[in-house]
Order: sequence, then structure tokens, then C-alpha cells
Amino acid sequence: MQTRLRILAAAALAVGCLSTAAQAQTPPNGRLLASNCFQCHGTNGKGPGFDRLAGKSASEIYNELREFQSGKEGDGIMARHAMGFTDAQLRSLSGWLATQR
Amino acid sequence: MQRRNFLTQGSSLLMAATTPLVWADDKKSKSSEIRKTRPSPVPVAASGPAKSRVIVIGGGMAGATVAKYLRLWGDAVEVTLIERSATYTSNIMSSLVLTGQRSIGSLTYRYDALFNAYGIQVLTDEVTEIDPVKMTVRLARTGTLYADRIVLAPGIDFDEVPGLGNSDRMPHAWKAGPQTTLLAKQLAAMPDNGLAVLTIPKTPYRCPPGPYERACLLADWLKVRKPRAKLLVLDANLDFVTEKDNFSRAFLDLHGSVIEYHTNAEVTQVDPATMSITTTAGTFKGAHVVNMIPRQRAGSLVAKTGLANATEGRFAAVDPLTYASTLASRIHIIGDASATTQPKAGHIANQEAKVCADAIIRGLAGLAPDPAPVTNSACYSTITMSQASWLTAVFQYDPVSRTMKPAAASSAASVGWNQDNFDQMNTWFKALMADSFA
Repeated sequence: MQTRLRILAAAALAVGCLSTAAQAQTPPNGRLLASNCFQCHGTNGKGPGFDRLAGKSASEIYNELREFQSGKEGDGIMARHAMGFTDAQLRSLSGWLATQR
Repeated sequence: MQRRNFLTQGSSLLMAATTPLVWADDKKSKSSEIRKTRPSPVPVAASGPAKSRVIVIGGGMAGATVAKYLRLWGDAVEVTLIERSATYTSNIMSSLVLTGQRSIGSLTYRYDALFNAYGIQVLTDEVTEIDPVKMTVRLARTGTLYADRIVLAPGIDFDEVPGLGNSDRMPHAWKAGPQTTLLAKQLAAMPDNGLAVLTIPKTPYRCPPGPYERACLLADWLKVRKPRAKLLVLDANLDFVTEKDNFSRAFLDLHGSVIEYHTNAEVTQVDPATMSITTTAGTFKGAHVVNMIPRQRAGSLVAKTGLANATEGRFAAVDPLTYASTLASRIHIIGDASATTQPKAGHIANQEAKVCADAIIRGLAGLAPDPAPVTNSACYSTITMSQASWLTAVFQYDPVSRTMKPAAASSAASVGWNQDNFDQMNTWFKALMADSFA
């Protein structure tokens, strides 16, 4: 019985390792899209550069981008950037940026 | 023999590598073994799995960024960056050296951070040969290395200008460094009523707005420093290549008293002794300073490796999902050396590098590349010594044409120019360089 438990535990461990390894190889959703922000807002949105993006929530970032996209923030370079992305892309990159603290 | 050379002479060339370099000979014996063990479903030992090796050739905007992001995003990747110069001098902002507003030193970047923060092996050496089948890279001093993937980021080379020879009378200053300082000295020594000439090559060339912003900046500087001088702009193209609204207003109105603009004027012959330039729009004589920006092609390694298969043999055709050469699937070509629908410029080269790094990491793990990559281009242009305009576009992958297409709503330039944009240019530059080199 004990042996069997040990085997099960080992198997569970092995499966755990495998899924972790596979996850490590699959890039997280939104990261590559979000990297379009890094040239001006710093790697992972942590500066140096324009406004720091790390530390904001997904909805905060998404709503700001929607404001820019709608033209309510004027016709500046950031508005034009936001206009280049689809709504799904804005949600995806906002979601990834929210993981950065 | 090669290894002994490396250990004795070459050790100073290598920034204290965290892991030893793998030599082509060593790799041969190990590669089959690694391939056998890699797909094994057994959890790996504490020492970790065999790492994949990527060699990046060229340490400019594209090369530095791809090296950084391969390590930032790919734990199982070892990266060696090979660059012939010990430091990088930024082309972006380098026209401000001509007006004395910036020093070359302020545009110089080291590779220390890429080594210290990301564990990238940095070799100061010259690549002499790439074997795209054996996946080996031969170096002038360090020997031959093997890689699972090679990224070529050699930037541009210039066409020879007929008649110029090795004269230093007509610098290009289009690769920042000694050429920039030389041109700055020549401009400073120009007589008050002198004639300066700037030539713009046929597209595609590095930094589409670059020659126009330089012309604007120099015109503004001439007004102050050489008040009776003229600037002749000889453009090989039929019209302003980009940002026409701003540049035409600046050329014709703002700087109309200084700039004389000729289109369809492709340089066919020069004579540095008489400082004359023959073009398809006539011959221009009596220049005091000539900034000769020649026509461009991918860095010579691309053609030497047989990969310059686009733009009449000037640049490399690549798949924009991965930036793999259309002729060699494990060799990726990014930045100004590749032929895509995107401009040749540092900001977008940085993003191409991220797409490439992501695709390589996925590819090495047996995964397909991101099917819908996005890139963006952004830059500021100096219209005067204190005011700038901006130009931007976001590019989306189009699966039908298999190219990157600019999103219409995002492709725009500022309406006019101002001091705010000039200040933002400095913030942008600082951020971009940190994202690429730190």
C-alpha cells in the first residue's frame, strides 16, 4: 500500500513537472503583443520612458487604451498606436501587463 | 589548434562567459545525443536540460534586442552575440551631433548589461563565414561555433559611389561614429556663404524620414551659424519618401530661404577634387560640404551566405511570422537587412527582434509561431533645433499576403511640429535604448 502511494506520488510529481515544463515553453497570452509598449514605456512596462504601466490593473490599462482609441485623448502618437490594435488585442495585452508589478 | 588560440589570445575578447562556448567539433559528437534525449518524457535532473544555442550576429538595435529577449523569455536558450565593435553608436539622434547638440559619447552603448543582466555571451569578433546547412559560424579570431538557430542582424552596407574612391570629402554619416564627427567638422569649417549638399538615395534605405529631418535640422543650424549658406538636397526619389505634409512645408516655407530641393536626382558620378556631383537631374558644382548618403543593401554577410534573395539581391526575404530566411529555415534575419513591408528603422527593428525571439523560443520547443504578430514603428523628426514632428504606424500580420500590413487608422504623422514633440523625442530615445541595451 505504502509502495503504491509512493508510486502515485511520484507519478503525480512527474505529471506536475511535465505540465510546468510545457507551460514554461508556451509564452503567456498577451506578452508578445504587450512588448509593443516596451520601446516607450520600458521593458515589462517598468520604465524608463513614458508613464509606467506595471502596477496597473487590466481594466485600468484597457480603459485608458479605449479612451485613446476613441480619440477622446486627442490625436497624439499614443492615440494612433491604440487605433492600430483590435479590441481583442487591447484586452489581451492589458491582461498581460496587469501581471507586472 | 583553434581552441588553443582562443584560450591564449581570445580570452580577453569574451566577457567572462557563464557557460563555455561550444565548438563545432564538440557539437558534432553531442548533437545526436541531445536530439535523442530532448523529447524524453522523463523529468529532468537538477542540472537542467541541454540548452539550445542561438548565435546573434550584429549588435545594433535588432541584434541587441533579440539577444536580450531570447534570454528574458527563454530559460532554455544560450545566446552568443557577435559584434565587431566593442560598443554601439546610435544612429538615432546622431544628426544632432552635426549641430553640436549631442556628443558621440552620449550615443554610445556598451554590451555590459546584456552580459550582466541576461547572461548573454558577447564576442567582439568578425564573422568570416556562415554555413547555413551545418549551422556553423566561423570567426576571424575565435574559431568556429555551432548553433541551433542563427539570427543575422548585420544592418546595412553602402553601394560604392562612382568616383568617390576612398576620399573623406563626402562622408555619409549614415552609420554614426567617425563619419558623423568628420561631417560635423566639415560643416563647422564651411564658409559663411558656403554650399552644403545632402543626397538622398533611392528607397529602400535606413530610416525613411532621416535624410529629410537632417536637412531640416542643418537648415536651421545654417541660419544661425552660416547665415548666407545654402543647402542643396538631391533626392534620388520622385518625391518626399515619407511625412510629405510636414517635410514639404518645412523645405518650402520654414527653410525655403536655405534649402533648394531637387527630386529624381540620383547620383551617378562624383569628383571629390572639384566637389562636384553628377546626377540624373544635372551636375552640381562648387560644394563646400557634401553629405553623400549612398544607396544601401543588407550587410555583406547576407549576400555572402546566399540569402539576399529580395529587392534585386539587396536584402533578404523573410517570413514575418518568424523572420526566418525563405531560403534557410534556421537562419533568421531581422532589422534593416531584411526585406519586409516595414520601414528600416531602429524602433521597429526592436519589435521585429521580439517577434523573432518569441518565434525562436516557440520553435525550439516544437511550438508554432504566434499566428498574428503585431509590430509598431514610431519616430520623431527634428524640424528645427528645438522642435520635432512624429510619425507612426502599427503593423498587423495579413495571412492572405503573408506580410505585415500597416493598420490604416494608426498610420499617421503629427500635424506640424513643436517643442513638446522635441522633449518627447528625448524620452522616447532613452526608453528605446534601454529596452534594447539594458
